[in-house]
Amino acid sequence: MLEVNRVRAGYGAINVLWDLSLTIREGEVTAIIGPNGAGKTTLLRAIMGLIPLSQGDIALHGDSLAGRQTWSIARHGISLIPEGRLVFRDMTVEDNLTMGAFPNSRRAGVAHNLARVYELFPRLAERRRQLAGALSGGEAQMVAIGRGLMAEPSVLLVDEPSLGLAPVMVQEIFGILERLKAEGRTIVLVEQNTHLALSLADHVHLMQAGRLLLSEPAPRVDLQRLHDLYFAR
Amino acid sequence: MTELILQSLYSGLLVGGAYALIALGLALVFGTMKIINLAHGELVLLAAYVAYTAESQFGLNPLASIPFALVIVCASAVLVYLLVSRIRVNRELNSLILTFGLGIILTNAVLIVWSANIRSTSSAWLQDAVVLGPLFSMRSEVVFFVLSLALAGGLWWWLSRSWYGRAVRAVSSNRDAAKLMGIDPVRTELVSFVVAGVLASVAGVAIYSSSVIQPALGHALTIKAFIITVLAGIGSMPGVLLGAVLLGVTESLTVTLASSALQELAGMVLFLLVLFVMPNGLFGGARRRG
Repeated sequence: MLEVNRVRAGYGAINVLWDLSLTIREGEVTAIIGPNGAGKTTLLRAIMGLIPLSQGDIALHGDSLAGRQTWSIARHGISLIPEGRLVFRDMTVEDNLTMGAFPNSRRAGVAHNLARVYELFPRLAERRRQLAGALSGGEAQMVAIGRGLMAEPSVLLVDEPSLGLAPVMVQEIFGILERLKAEGRTIVLVEQNTHLALSLADHVHLMQAGRLLLSEPAPRVDLQRLHDLYFAR
Repeated sequence: MTELILQSLYSGLLVGGAYALIALGLALVFGTMKIINLAHGELVLLAAYVAYTAESQFGLNPLASIPFALVIVCASAVLVYLLVSRIRVNRELNSLILTFGLGIILTNAVLIVWSANIRSTSSAWLQDAVVLGPLFSMRSEVVFFVLSLALAGGLWWWLSRSWYGRAVRAVSSNRDAAKLMGIDPVRTELVSFVVAGVLASVAGVAIYSSSVIQPALGHALTIKAFIITVLAGIGSMPGVLLGAVLLGVTESLTVTLASSALQELAGMVLFLLVLFVMPNGLFGGARRRG
């Protein structure tokens, strides 16, 4: 459903993605793994239009997203749950979640979706009136995920959800991702923690230096080979 | 002596209403765009002169001129926004130069159209005395103070409950994250300029109705609004309200106890004193920014 076709993108004069192509299939969890600096986050930013493509195209359900503004792509049904959370620190938890439903077509479902998010994350229900800036890292990650779900996206992009979290919290977050997978959602998971990513994924892409090194269904992945490729220079 | 001090506290409180409206507009635009609109006081001044023309040419009560002020000032605010939004690099710094220049242009346009004469309202109804126990004021001061409170309340409701108000806060909190929510920051910036224009319109008519206006006033108002915004701790709405009243009271106490020549200086002294004791402003306290 989401097609990345020979995409080249980067930051100013520094190019990061080199003619990258991949396909995200509906209802699957696609894991994108790779070492630091491989361009995983850059790929997600390019999909969301936060950085421009210098070449190639990205299409959702056949509609090209290239050249479109980030807010228009978000309204089109792609939600990015950003690395480092990026919550609205000076707003309450509930206002943060509500902003996820900003697009006109999503506003009618606010009450229903809020209730769903609070059911997924009971901890956020307890803290709904607190400022998001006062939350722990794990709670902020929950806000970011909940906020992403408020838009009822057709594709959920999740960037390094385990980054900087305590192991218990990582387990909890992956438990939630597990549930979202069971609901049949389309998820793209960028993760450095290979084991966690493999435990959840239907399909695995390994990136290095802005290119795809490996692209396989998760059950066929040979861990030894994956690690050799991962650490190869 | 006690009555004099009480009276100047009261007058300061009343003038603080208009100051608060001006400062809230400045703070709102600063929040969404991270720019300080140095032409903001001139927009207020423009509203004041619209009220003057409406009264002297068409015999309208200043209160009735508010809709006209709204149209003209909001259109000017949009124009300022369109110019500022053309800045591509280093917007924070370059916008200072641009809006400073726009302020000078507006001041001189006012000078050409309305001349340098000092103007004030001739409405007897607005200038009637209102007595509240031992305290005196003009009716206009009370009317516009109540109106300012209502507008500040409306702004608070808008920022905390409406979709666009919350979007304005989201953009000021984290621009990239706001875009990811499907919020168009350009439209949000425009909205914040228009809302600042609405606040400036009412403040301008208030100042015309309860005080005297002349073309150089715009600049002084920008400085007052800036002082209040920084006093408040940038981004704090209760801080702005308190800061505005504090500035009003300081000015009126200075006039009562010392000399009206020191009025402008008093604001600056207050500004330095507060920042010396509380570098983050009154309400900026423990907040972490970023």
